[in-house]
Amino acid sequence: MSARDETNFHLPAEAMEALTTVPAGKLAPRLDPPARPLPFVLLDCFDQSLRRSGRLLIEAGDQLELLTADGRILTQAARRKGGFVADLADGPVKAALADLSPLRALLPLGTGEMRPATLSLVDDEGKTRARALLRLLTGTGGKETVVATLSGLRGYDKALDRLRAHLVACGGLGLAEGGLYRRLFVGHRPYQPKPAIAIGRKDRAIDVASDIIAAHIPVARANEPGIIADLDSEFLHDYRIALRKIRSVLSLFKGVYDPAQTDALKARFTALMAPTGRLRDLDVYLLERHRYDALLPEAMHGGLDRMFALFRQERHAAQAQLADHLRGTAYRAEIADLARLFETRKALRPGPNAARGAHDLACELIWKRYRKICRIAAELGPETPDGDIHALRIHCKKLRYLMEFFAPAFSEGRFAELIKPLKRLQDRLGLFNDFSVQQVSLRAFLAGLDKVPEAERLEIAQSAGALIMVLHQRQLEERDKVAGSFARFNSAKTQRLFRDLFRDGGEGT
Amino acid sequence: MKIIACYSNKGGVGKTAASVNLAHVFATSGRRVLLCDLDPQGASGFYFRMKPSKKLTEAGFFQDVEKFTGAIRGSDFDDLDVLPANARFRDFDIFLSRMRDDRSRLKKALKAVKGDYDVILLDCPPNITTLSENVFRAADVVLVPVIPTTLSQRTFDQLTDFFRDHDLPTKKLHAFFSMVQGIKILHGETMAAMREASPKRFLEARIPFASEVERMGVHRAPVTATAPASNAARAYRALHDELCDRIGP
Repeated sequence: MSARDETNFHLPAEAMEALTTVPAGKLAPRLDPPARPLPFVLLDCFDQSLRRSGRLLIEAGDQLELLTADGRILTQAARRKGGFVADLADGPVKAALADLSPLRALLPLGTGEMRPATLSLVDDEGKTRARALLRLLTGTGGKETVVATLSGLRGYDKALDRLRAHLVACGGLGLAEGGLYRRLFVGHRPYQPKPAIAIGRKDRAIDVASDIIAAHIPVARANEPGIIADLDSEFLHDYRIALRKIRSVLSLFKGVYDPAQTDALKARFTALMAPTGRLRDLDVYLLERHRYDALLPEAMHGGLDRMFALFRQERHAAQAQLADHLRGTAYRAEIADLARLFETRKALRPGPNAARGAHDLACELIWKRYRKICRIAAELGPETPDGDIHALRIHCKKLRYLMEFFAPAFSEGRFAELIKPLKRLQDRLGLFNDFSVQQVSLRAFLAGLDKVPEAERLEIAQSAGALIMVLHQRQLEERDKVAGSFARFNSAKTQRLFRDLFRDGGEGT
Repeated sequence: MKIIACYSNKGGVGKTAASVNLAHVFATSGRRVLLCDLDPQGASGFYFRMKPSKKLTEAGFFQDVEKFTGAIRGSDFDDLDVLPANARFRDFDIFLSRMRDDRSRLKKALKAVKGDYDVILLDCPPNITTLSENVFRAADVVLVPVIPTTLSQRTFDQLTDFFRDHDLPTKKLHAFFSMVQGIKILHGETMAAMREASPKRFLEARIPFASEVERMGVHRAPVTATAPASNAARAYRALHDELCDRIGP
């Protein structure tokens, strides 16, 4: 979005002078004196999805105030049952936040004082032609910043354009750009779960691998406080994704590091992941609760209730345990050591492929992986063992990681054409896997029920048993669809693109 | 949606002041208001600092949805828009009937820009023949300011006769006393006589003859905005409340 289409802007407080004195064409600016300051809390998700989408959510007094991307200021009572959008009281703000991830909590990112004011452009008759509602925000310890929301008057569109241009001329930037939160709150660091890594076609493979790893360790670390404080389940999810990406680089970029060191590093990152697995599994169960409900008749929901009560208990313990682990000195020393290793890179020992060009290595790895997938898929039939389908899923996942890692070394458009159908195929394979994994874990859960009183155990076992049956049925249904899904993915066009992009190593460029 | 036509067959009775202040009170009490400035002499737009539009005089203006919606201007007050003067009254009744019809293009066009209105206030010119009787027919309320003098009594009677002659329901007529001077004995006597003659037609609220109202021309804003605590502002709010009771939500 360019500043020309924006409705919300932010400017440094120094811009107020020009904003309120310099005429905009024939129209004169006029400032209604700011109201008295009141304390505010700025709310956003950890990934700043509100700011990124050009919105701002402020809690002041007992009101929530949302600046929408199209320039409305919505308000509603601030009282809420919890940290998620779903926990807000029904009202216009809640409705306008419906697009946010239901999994992400609204967090207080900072506090300060706010003074509301109004800037108008008036004509020679003293008539207001356009307005901007100003919020003069001073973050605690930060600089004063002006947030302006354009508010048009009917029939005065030109004046509104004038005011917009006036704001831009005075240094106004859209909310999504220019580090608004950093300006407001000293020491604020924006979170970027997918750091952009520039890769030149000729860059050495070892440098690319080290760049990716070095960029993802801080991503994992940024999530530690949220996991420890148990703010929402996405912190742990992102933490695990970052570590998994690192592990994939180590296993997929073959021969980039010395083999013995590669194995040692893989083992260390696997060890970092290990204590997180159970909590993540439990998070997934609890988040998917409604789906389980839908799978069983209502008469069997009692058993589910008991089962989920046990999950919640276990989750509570698992969270406390992981939080302790992350706070512990051993973990802190280990992750700091790994971060240092990939920052300084002095202790990294190159392997046989270290000096190969990134593009060249990417082509080879991607093409090989793709061929492997095609070979497995060619054998797909009613007799195919489940193990082969799992293998297909894992190869697809690796292919996807490879392609995403190396994407910057290729031209964008044709790459995206391949990623999309691959994603679709992965989704189908993912369902198959979920149904099968859930059966295994339900069986394990049942086997560990000996401490539960007899009567409860029976009820739980009935529900869990029924669930296993339904899940098995679903798994079979998904299985039958795999061959078709693969055929849709591997169209003549996909085959041609893979050949063009990766086999011949050129892009026709 | 309610259509209120502010009308007097006599000039200089405080009709425009009433339109402007009522529009403001309706808007501040949460209704979305369109004030149509139909009286070239009254110029309620002037009180909102609007420049008269020169473009509105073409024939067929009220039939052309885009031209009409494009001519509406936002006032400095929330929820209060103004259709500036210089519109011809030809076809105005067609416009009013379209405002009532949810299926009309006009209504849809207004809804599309979130510009649908709860109240349409018409500041009418003081001439029955120019303003078609169809406007009276379309309005829910014909609000008539009356200065309590003998002459005003005659003009009000003429208006009532006009309604009867044209088969218009006289119960649409809601009169109120305007520019009332408390110290004038004649004012008091006339008001008592008129209330007795048409007991159901007169509202209780009365607008005083006040310097604040005169100064509207200087401030160029409603009294209810510039001097909300004044007697005049209070009187306009009372008029609004009483009107709301009579016409319903």
